[in-house]
Amino acid sequence: MNVTIIDPLQGDFPEVIEEYLQHGNMKCIAFNRRGTLLAAGCSDGSCVIWDFETRGIAKELRDKDCVAPITSVCWSKYGHHLLASATDRSLTLWDVKSGEKIARVTLQQTTLLVRLHPGSCTPSICLACPLSSAPILVDLNTSSSTVLPVSVSDSGIGVLPHPRNKFADGSPPYTPTAATFNKNGDLIYVGNSKGEILIVDFKTIRVHAMIPILGGSIVRNIVFSRNGQYLLTNSNDRVIRIYENLLTQKKAVVALEEMTSSFDNLQGTEKLKAVGSKCLILQREFQDAVTKIQWKAPCFSGDGDWVVGASATKGEHKIYIWDRSGYLAKILEGPKEALIDLAWHPVRPLVVSVSITGLVYIWAKDYTENWSAFAPDFKELEENEEYVEREDEFDLVPETDKVKDYEVNEDEEVDVVNFDKDPAFSDSDASMEELCFLTAIPSPDAPEQQDKYVGSSTKVEESTHSGSPLSVDVEQNDQAIILPDLILAEGGNSAAEETVGNNSSKRRRKPSAKGLELQADQVRKPLKKGKSSNKSFKSKNKKNDQDTNGFAPEDDVTDECL
Amino acid sequence: MLSQISLPISLASERLKPKPSAVHNPPESKLSPAMSSVYQPNGLHSSDAEAGGGDGDGASIAPPYILRETLRGHKRAISSVKFSPDGALIASASADKTLRVWSSTYFSLHEELVGHDEGISDVSFSSDSRYVCSASDDRTVRIWDVETGVQIKTLAGHTNYVFCCCYNPQSNMIASGSFDETVRVWDVKSGKCLRVLPAHSEPVTSVDFNRDGSLIVSGSFDGLCRIWDSATGHCVKTIIDDDSPPVSFVKFSPNGKFVLAATLDSTLRLWNFSTGKFLKTYTGHENSKFCIPATFSVTNGKYIVSGSEDNCLYLWELQTRKVVQKLEGHTDTVIAVSCHPSKNMIASGALTNDRTVKVWVQEGEDQKEM
Repeated sequence: MNVTIIDPLQGDFPEVIEEYLQHGNMKCIAFNRRGTLLAAGCSDGSCVIWDFETRGIAKELRDKDCVAPITSVCWSKYGHHLLASATDRSLTLWDVKSGEKIARVTLQQTTLLVRLHPGSCTPSICLACPLSSAPILVDLNTSSSTVLPVSVSDSGIGVLPHPRNKFADGSPPYTPTAATFNKNGDLIYVGNSKGEILIVDFKTIRVHAMIPILGGSIVRNIVFSRNGQYLLTNSNDRVIRIYENLLTQKKAVVALEEMTSSFDNLQGTEKLKAVGSKCLILQREFQDAVTKIQWKAPCFSGDGDWVVGASATKGEHKIYIWDRSGYLAKILEGPKEALIDLAWHPVRPLVVSVSITGLVYIWAKDYTENWSAFAPDFKELEENEEYVEREDEFDLVPETDKVKDYEVNEDEEVDVVNFDKDPAFSDSDASMEELCFLTAIPSPDAPEQQDKYVGSSTKVEESTHSGSPLSVDVEQNDQAIILPDLILAEGGNSAAEETVGNNSSKRRRKPSAKGLELQADQVRKPLKKGKSSNKSFKSKNKKNDQDTNGFAPEDDVTDECL
Repeated sequence: MLSQISLPISLASERLKPKPSAVHNPPESKLSPAMSSVYQPNGLHSSDAEAGGGDGDGASIAPPYILRETLRGHKRAISSVKFSPDGALIASASADKTLRVWSSTYFSLHEELVGHDEGISDVSFSSDSRYVCSASDDRTVRIWDVETGVQIKTLAGHTNYVFCCCYNPQSNMIASGSFDETVRVWDVKSGKCLRVLPAHSEPVTSVDFNRDGSLIVSGSFDGLCRIWDSATGHCVKTIIDDDSPPVSFVKFSPNGKFVLAATLDSTLRLWNFSTGKFLKTYTGHENSKFCIPATFSVTNGKYIVSGSEDNCLYLWELQTRKVVQKLEGHTDTVIAVSCHPSKNMIASGALTNDRTVKVWVQEGEDQKEM
């Protein structure tokens, strides 16, 4: 993105709901690395991948085995694979491009959160955090799992949950924990129910360090920022804490081992705590002192400058945005539906939230048109400036004074081929090509659309909103259209089914009167040359003028026409 | 004023009409040169500022391009010629309402795409070279499958002739500019119009995406080039020269930092749109009536290639701005130019008198074709 000419003031935080996506009942979301695709897990076991630029569905991942609601989705580093965990205790690994299932593993417990190992391009190991027991590392190829230590005894060795604490029926003890990989994937940060953060080595499953959190309450979420520099924890004491990660990205394990050996005089937990104090430093605490809201799904912004957290109070759709220094920047309030998941776009100031009704809301900045862009010598003023003219400003001067007074040095070398790498993704190595977008295969127009189009009355209700994308396409002549089998959903769907499919996968904006009118016009306007067309042609023309002239959106949503 | 031209429907597509200046064109002379427009080159910065205005004074391209093949078949004037991104195909659009897809290795006709009701002004390939979109006077943009020749989708919404179209690099969106003075951005998959940009106050002559698809540049007869953010649809920059001659063509450079703009005062300019100043000027050709595209040739040295109304193709060296070659062979205005993405091959198309697509290669390269 050429950020030099795009207004720098726009790189902040979102303010209003721009749009919402609807397809089935979505439960959890995840952006791919570049933010061009949004994966959403649905309650029917399928995963939907949205093309975030066009806000349309790019792919649906469906399988007859996967029918249980999805609890979490995670992309692989370069976007080729998608891992989904479901309530039937299974984990499914999908290949995004082909839409095929690669692997499926069934565990002992339902996983609430899965994370694919971020270090490799085709990861086969993932971290799964079940509801109430220790996080496990699962190898998706072999289905073997390794339980991670969740607490340290005085001997300093990480212990698995004590067998004596098991329940009478032998099920594992209730130790809710949260865990996450660090940026490279060589360390796992585990937040346990005693309010401690343990740094566990990925390869050896050894606990390297321990950082106790003040208050010692159960850690519900533990999340890294995108650049790996900051860590946040969300605890049961209703506080979100921000830590600065002092370990370097590369060779963190080596550094840890060095630190461990340097603290030889200490033993056990003391040693771990000492090492831990060198790994994380508490920076800030965020809480709502007045209402003591329990936080849900906290995360960082793409650049790590903002922290966003949602209120876990039922019936409320509130999103709090703080900047990292602790200042509460904004509270976003959505419709009165509970919020179940939240994600910040990796690059743009966009927040996506999932409500309990299964809709995905997209929050964006309230864009105002930058008028000075429309003419190069316009300048935007903050407030009125009194203009004081020069003495000779309005004198009549001869034409010679108007000659350009700058010389263009046309002999300078111009580089038209080399481009700068995007600094936001500087760590991408070229070892594997990143999957940034899925090829958009145009869904073919069905011949019966023509008839529907000609005879259609103006139905302006929401339910036929899906009709408009198809009705806009018009077949001019009666050329025999062979429908190629390009439909992306499984099975050979005919065009009719495609229509039905489109019905459920609407991409909708908050309807505004103008937008609906425009839809009506688009439906109404046939493209055939005939007397009847002239009328609607003119009205359409007028509508277009109206719409194009109405720049300022009347509600907080931009219309289809700018 | 221009958007309300009532022209007889049976005539050639708008692209081939000379830019209607203040003087009204009588119907018979649609494709004949218009009266001299108001925008004559004023000589201020074109011929005087640099010495490279003339043709071939010492600089030349080695080896020079020669005519390799002439592709015949269109029944009326050609309006646009494009190479596919994989280099295997050439697509040509014509006023005879058809598109023709030719093989660029065997120069045989691969497909003929029939379906538009009116002449076609522009054609564009998708990044995977599987689909083409075409802009036509019948106010629609159509998407075709290249392999089968089947028309897949019709994008309707413009209220006047669609003059130009372009796929974005991700090929999930198409931008189209029209005589109705707007630029529309379409979703390829569903065919929905995602945005309508209130781009200009005169017909939009050209649209292009930059290399990551985040910006759209549009040029128009009103003399402005506007840069738009494709994600939000907001204008981020306007480039205007002091005299504002009609802009007939705009294109991003391969690295997306510069904009090449052709204006109807026989001038090509390379602008740095961040600063709003132009860096290079290319003259020597004739362009005052038709919307003739220009392109970058970067496969073997850096050149700018453009058609011209004196029936030749001009090649300028990018840095020195000198004309290094004039390719003669067409018998009418060369209205379409495209460069092969990897080989040193140029394809060009010309107007009614000629109706052919000519393929030019560098001497010595034609031995490699077979």
